[in-house]
Amino acid sequence: MKATKVLVPVAGGIALGALLLPGTSLADTTVSPSTTPVGGTVVLTATNCNPNSGDAIFHVTGPDRDQNVRSTTAAASGGLSAELFTAGFTLGTYTVAATCGDGTPDGSATFTVTPIGGAQAGGRDVGGGGTLAAGATLLVTSLGGAVILARRRRHAAEAATL
Amino acid sequence: MRGYHLGRLLVTLLAVAGLVLVGVGVAQLPSRPPQPDSAGLPPQAVTAPSLPPLPRADPVEVRIPRIGVRAPLLPVAADPSGALEVPPLDRPRVAGWYSPGVSPGELGNAVVVGHVDSPGGPAVFFDLGRLRTGDTVHIARADATVVRFAVDGVEAYPKNGFPTDLVYGPGAVAGLRLITCGGRFDQDSGEYVDNVIVFATRTR
Repeated sequence: MKATKVLVPVAGGIALGALLLPGTSLADTTVSPSTTPVGGTVVLTATNCNPNSGDAIFHVTGPDRDQNVRSTTAAASGGLSAELFTAGFTLGTYTVAATCGDGTPDGSATFTVTPIGGAQAGGRDVGGGGTLAAGATLLVTSLGGAVILARRRRHAAEAATL
Repeated sequence: MRGYHLGRLLVTLLAVAGLVLVGVGVAQLPSRPPQPDSAGLPPQAVTAPSLPPLPRADPVEVRIPRIGVRAPLLPVAADPSGALEVPPLDRPRVAGWYSPGVSPGELGNAVVVGHVDSPGGPAVFFDLGRLRTGDTVHIARADATVVRFAVDGVEAYPKNGFPTDLVYGPGAVAGLRLITCGGRFDQDSGEYVDNVIVFATRTR
């Protein structure tokens, strides 16, 4: 009985604490899209920041970058957003940590900057077609010559019979 | 009459030379790499055994028993235009590992790229399109571990519709993506129009 009496309030306290901890269960930062070719734009959103508390700051860290980006718009789905242009970014994965205008952290998210498009992984020689075309030209020429010769021979034969 | 015989000789010579050149030209035409018989849909990842992810280590060799590939790996990134680098064409039997991404065995998708052909003929990934679901790919790493992957599927995508997310995007398991060229060869641009991509998941 003693154990039950102790455990129930402790469990209740933990549950209540989890609910009341600021920024733990509700904190949310999103990056869309989460993968972008270098030079693409990603939208950073701190979904729980109140626009009335001031601009949110997105702290972007990654392979060659440690910069702050200030929110520019109120997101349609709630919170604050900023666009980030990735031209000049080194390839790799970046972390975005948001802080609301009132100083409360709003979680973090990652995005990946990748190469553009597919790979140019072929290098065949395109010269074989030239030889083929030259051969075909010679064959057509010889065929034409054969026709001319045959006509001349026929004319000669006709002239001989007259 | 003499002119006629001369003409016949000339026509015969032209015909013989033409036949020889056509024969040589046909022999010089490179063979077309095998294409995957895919439906153009992203393959479903095979249910992989629960494996702890490996720490980062550079891969040094790729082996694909089914198509007889055993090739060293060089790190590659992107060229100044942002396109994925490939190993130099004068080393067509070497493949490249996309080093800004994860290494094979880490969580996420490791990317390996290789040429399909070169001026000298077929290159390291010429037969990639012949791989089928369940085939194995082995990657030897600098830390002396060998990671084994099973092929989930092989697909061809137009280069202007490259599936960036499926190749470079994050993953909950250790994956592998092998990339080469494929599809129709565009004589004007001197390039293939597609990329052939092998999707694989770590099994050991």
